[in-house]
Amino acid sequence: MTRVLTRQARRLAPPAAVAALVLAAWYFGSYVLIDADRRFLLPAPHEVVKVGFGDPANLAELLAALRLSAEVAVTGLVCAAVLGLALAILMSQARWVERSLYPYAVALQTVPVLALVPLLGFWFGFGFSSRVLTCVLIALFPIVANSLFGLRSVDPALHDLFTLHRAGRLTRLVKLQLPAALPAILTGLRISAGAAVIGAIVGDFFFQQGEPGLGQLIYVYPRRLQSEMLFAAVFLASAFGVIVFWLFGILARQATSWHSSQHRRPDTGGAPR
Amino acid sequence: MTDDGRPALTMEAVGVRYPGGTVALDGVTLSLAPGEFTAVVGPSGCGKSTLLRLAAGLLKPTAGTVGRATERLGFVFQDSTLLPWRSVRRNVELAGELTGVPARERRDRAGEALRRVGLSHVADALPGTLSGGMRMRVSLARTLTGRPDLMLFDEPFGSVDEITRGRLGDDLQELFAADGFAGLLVTHSVAEAVYLSQRVLVMADRPGRLVGEVAVPLPYPRRPEVRFSPAFTELTSQVTALLQGGTADRIEVAA
Repeated sequence: MTRVLTRQARRLAPPAAVAALVLAAWYFGSYVLIDADRRFLLPAPHEVVKVGFGDPANLAELLAALRLSAEVAVTGLVCAAVLGLALAILMSQARWVERSLYPYAVALQTVPVLALVPLLGFWFGFGFSSRVLTCVLIALFPIVANSLFGLRSVDPALHDLFTLHRAGRLTRLVKLQLPAALPAILTGLRISAGAAVIGAIVGDFFFQQGEPGLGQLIYVYPRRLQSEMLFAAVFLASAFGVIVFWLFGILARQATSWHSSQHRRPDTGGAPR
Repeated sequence: MTDDGRPALTMEAVGVRYPGGTVALDGVTLSLAPGEFTAVVGPSGCGKSTLLRLAAGLLKPTAGTVGRATERLGFVFQDSTLLPWRSVRRNVELAGELTGVPARERRDRAGEALRRVGLSHVADALPGTLSGGMRMRVSLARTLTGRPDLMLFDEPFGSVDEITRGRLGDDLQELFAADGFAGLLVTHSVAEAVYLSQRVLVMADRPGRLVGEVAVPLPYPRRPEVRFSPAFTELTSQVTALLQGGTADRIEVAA
C-alpha cells in the first residue's frame, strides 16, 4: 500500500513541481515585473479565479459559452467520426476509391480552414450548422487517415486465413479488419477530438455572430480590457480540450485491452513495454 | 478420408513466374497419397512456401496444374495467426464460423479440439497471455475443427524454441496417427523433416525446383530416441547431400 502511494507520488511530483513553478513565475510577473496600473496585462491567478469563477454572473456567461462550444465540438466530432470511418472503409475496399478520394482528404487537411470560414458563413449562415461544419472539416482527416492505415495494416497471414475459409468482403471487414483496426481508429478519434475542440473555438472566434461560444468571448474580452475574464475563458477552453483528450485515452485503453500496446509487464514496474 | 484411392494432392509441371520475370518455381511435379505425410526441405528462398500456397489454392500457378481430391483442407501458418481480441475458444471456433458450421456443433468441435491439444484449461484466455508454443497449439486446434483430409504446414514451429518445437512435433505425430490425414510439411530443418515424415522432398533454389526425394521407412510412432539411431543419421545425411548438391551458392569447407 505504501509502495503504491510512493509510486503515485513519484509519478505526480514532477508535473506538480512544474505547476508550482509556473504559478510562482506568474505571481512574480504580475506583482514584480508589471506596474500596478498595467497589471491588467497579467492579472494574478487568484484574481482570475475570483472574477471569472467567483462572480455568479461572470461564471454563468462563461459556462453558457462553454456549453455552446462543447455542443458544437461534440456534434462535429460525431459527424466527422461517422463520415471519416465510412470513407476509410470505402477506400479500404478498393484501390480506385482510395486513389479517387484520398488526395482530397489530404487537401482538406492542408487548406487553411480559416480561409473557408467566411465562405461557410456566407453559405450556411453564422449559426450552429456552419460551426459544426468547421469542426467536421478540421476533425475529418485524422479519422480517415488513421482508420485507413488500420484497415490496411492487417497481417497478410490473417487475410490468407480468411481467404482459405472463403470469407466474403463483409465477413472479412466485420470479423477481421475492423477489430484489427480498432486501436488505430481510436487513435484517430482521439486526435480528431482534440481537433474538434479547437475547431469549435476557432470557428466561433472568427464567426463573431450569433450566440457567443468560448471563441467569441476570447475575441471580445481583450477588447473590453476584461483580462481576468480572458484568462478564465482561455483556461476553460484548455481544460475542455484536455478533458476530451483524456476521456478518449481511457476509452481507447478500455476498448483495446487485448492490444500489445496495452500490455503491462510486472517486471518493468508496471510501465508499458 | 478420401478413400477412392485418388491422390490427396497432385502437381503437374507446376511453375510460378512473377510479372518481373523472376521464376519462383519451375517444373514441380509431385503426388501425395491419402494419409501420406511428406516433408519438403530446402534453403530459404527456394519457393517452399510458394509450393504450399499453391497447394492451398492461395496462389494460382502460371504453368502446370494443381489438383486436390478434397475440400477439407487445413493450413497451419508459420505464426499462430490468432485474432488477439478473441478468446482461445472463440479463435478455435473461427474456422467453423467462417464456413457456416452451426453454432452448437462449432462449440462441440472447438471443445474437442482444445481437449486434444491439451488446452481446455485456457479456453477463456486471450492469446496474448499464452506462450508461443501454446498459441501454436491453439492454431493447430483451430485447423483440426475442420476435420481436414489434407494438412499443409508452413514451417509451423519456426517461431518457437527448440524444446517446444520438439514437443509440438510429437503432438503432431499423435494427431496424424489418430486422424490419418495427408500432410505436407515445409521446413528448413532436415532432422524435423526426417523425424516426422514418410518421405522427404528436397528443393533447390534459383529457380525453385525439386531435386530429389528420400523415403523414410522408420515405423510410427517414432520416439525422440530414434534421432540417435544409425538409420536416422543415414537418412539425414542423404537429405543433406541432396541439399548441398542442389544449392547454387554452396560454401566449400576445407577438410
